[in-house]
Amino acid sequence: MFTLAEAPRGRPLRIVDVQGREGVRRRLFALGFHKDDLIEVNSHGILRGPLLIKNLTSDSSVALGRGIAGKIMVDLSSDGQ
Amino acid sequence: MDNDIPTVIFLGQPNSGKSTLFNAIAGPKALTSNFPGTSYKHTHSEVNIEGRLLNVVDLPGTYSLNPSEPAEKVILSHLFQERPDLIINVVDASILGRSLELTLELLELGFPMIIALNMVDLAEKKGIQVDPENLEKRLGVRVAPTVASHGRGLKALLEAAFFCLDNRCPLVSPHWSGDVEEEVKRLAERLPKEIIVAGNPRFTAIKLIEAEKTFCVEVLAEADPELKRDLDLIKRRIEDKRRAPAYEVIAAERHHLALKISEETSRVRRGRQRSWERRVDDIIMHPVLGYLILGLIFLAFFFLIFKIGGPLEGALLGPLARLRAFLSGWLGAGLIFHVADGLLQGIGGGAAIVLPYFVPLLFFMAFLEDLGYLARAGFLLDTFMHRIGLHGKSVSPFILGFGCNVPAVLSTRVLESRRDRVITSLLIPFIPCSARTTIVLALVAFYLGPAWALGFYFFNILLVALVGRLLSLFFRDPSPGLILEIPSLKAPSPVNMARKTYLQLKSFVKFAWPLLVGGSLVLSLLQFLGLDKVLNAAFSPLVVHGLGLPEPLGITLVFGFLRKELSLIMMLQALGVEYTNLLTVISREQILVFTVFVSFFIPCLSTFAILWKETGKKVAFLSVGLSIGVALLVSLMVRLIF
Repeated sequence: MFTLAEAPRGRPLRIVDVQGREGVRRRLFALGFHKDDLIEVNSHGILRGPLLIKNLTSDSSVALGRGIAGKIMVDLSSDGQ
Repeated sequence: MDNDIPTVIFLGQPNSGKSTLFNAIAGPKALTSNFPGTSYKHTHSEVNIEGRLLNVVDLPGTYSLNPSEPAEKVILSHLFQERPDLIINVVDASILGRSLELTLELLELGFPMIIALNMVDLAEKKGIQVDPENLEKRLGVRVAPTVASHGRGLKALLEAAFFCLDNRCPLVSPHWSGDVEEEVKRLAERLPKEIIVAGNPRFTAIKLIEAEKTFCVEVLAEADPELKRDLDLIKRRIEDKRRAPAYEVIAAERHHLALKISEETSRVRRGRQRSWERRVDDIIMHPVLGYLILGLIFLAFFFLIFKIGGPLEGALLGPLARLRAFLSGWLGAGLIFHVADGLLQGIGGGAAIVLPYFVPLLFFMAFLEDLGYLARAGFLLDTFMHRIGLHGKSVSPFILGFGCNVPAVLSTRVLESRRDRVITSLLIPFIPCSARTTIVLALVAFYLGPAWALGFYFFNILLVALVGRLLSLFFRDPSPGLILEIPSLKAPSPVNMARKTYLQLKSFVKFAWPLLVGGSLVLSLLQFLGLDKVLNAAFSPLVVHGLGLPEPLGITLVFGFLRKELSLIMMLQALGVEYTNLLTVISREQILVFTVFVSFFIPCLSTFAILWKETGKKVAFLSVGLSIGVALLVSLMVRLIF
């Protein structure tokens, strides 16, 4: 298990846990980021910039700042999509 | 509110095409334009649709209805105040699973509702086919497939809307899995009548379970300690069983139900994934190419200002000057001339100076927005925004600020935290708007060369960064960080872009133009009464000793507050020279000092007014103080260096 900020690009990941303050967690939930969803890191911004995350479960894309990505715990998913 | 006219509210997640749909149905006919947001004021538009008078309301896009999030609380209270006769829930068919989460919340809320299943074309391109009839059955509400950007499906949608207005379409609240469902039911039955909101015990119960520390829970604890104890007990039972906070359990319930419904009602054909979009996105968001493209877009931006706005302005200013000359010949130099001149300067100046730059920029912004590029620019610039204590979401208000600061301040409503909104709003007045661009072009580019003008812009952006950095020192709570949806790339529809431009232009004209005209009139009268000399004398210590400029330029500062670009016109008038002979009375260094000071010294009256309205009196005056301080400092620096 590692944080989304450390995750490799282009590999299906399963969300294990969403940590952080309530407000941030709620916003992530509202944007369709939940425990057990499959996601993928599509791109990293330069100079420790944000991450472009694709949610494979709900098929939407979200840019997340590093701080927030560091609060999402993920695992490599074996079953792909 | 008139009870005879039914209220129809458009509600949907951001990027669902809700505003496009609203504009396609009601926009051009709407009597009042809509800028909803933090204001609790009702923004209605009475429109006649197919012979029926409706009271339509376009609420800002929202992902959920969470009362602890300020922007979403506004939407909830709006819904409770309006008690809509119908909600048109706009759903993005291409991301059905996620869009339905809001739909489920609206079903819990229980107001009559129909669904506009929007962007079915995009969904099909993605290989997703949604079965509207099946979805209708599953949700128990009418579903009409639409493509708002092309005006497709509007007729069927309106038919469904009228049907539900005439026949009351009852809703069934979605049911959760066993254990959670039982707890919700138990609480709903237990609730005393007086605390039930929107006449719906179930919705109230769910919100109470979901709410963490909201005002209403605190009130509840005081008014009915026993109920509060029961609520805590119910929450604890849910939390113990699911090992997660109650709000997360409810959110997960909605999420799973929404996904389930989405899976049951849509067919996904593999292989037709939009691989080209992925490829284009890889280029747009590329660590090197992405910034190159962003740079090119900025260049296009300036190209637009210089090459389209400039000639257009010239074409409009010429006749204006002739009309003025004619008026002065006809009316003499008396009071009537000054009144007429003030009016002409206000109306004509607004048309000839602001609009040529503003309209192309608005159109270009609509293009970038509809394409989905603004969010991508936010992604690319997030890193740099972090350096000044903000994040990528502030990018689009800043870009808008190059056109005019007023809509830029309005657009800060997309920012979730008050901190980010205030910092962004304080920085926007430092963004060179089209009026200031006119001054920079006419003075710096013309008399010192284009390289100086570009340098001025570069310095200006640096200044924004510095001030931002400084401001974020005073706001100790850190920015919550970037959470920004990146919508699918879409081919923008010219009709929709034109409509958007028109609506924004309309609200600008309504808001800023009266101020421009009023300001010009006052100034004209000041001149007539000879008060300009008094003002010059009053400003003399600052203008002559501080900035090293000729005394007659004092009056231009007042003009600068009313309208930035008037400073330029009044400068020539005050110095009594033709534009081309300017260097005979004033040096290049003085021109530079003057431009710098006028650009920054105060937000213009319209910006000040919108700052006051949007962020409050304190921030508006803070902005004035900040601008004066920065302008003085920078002008003195320029004076010392050159």
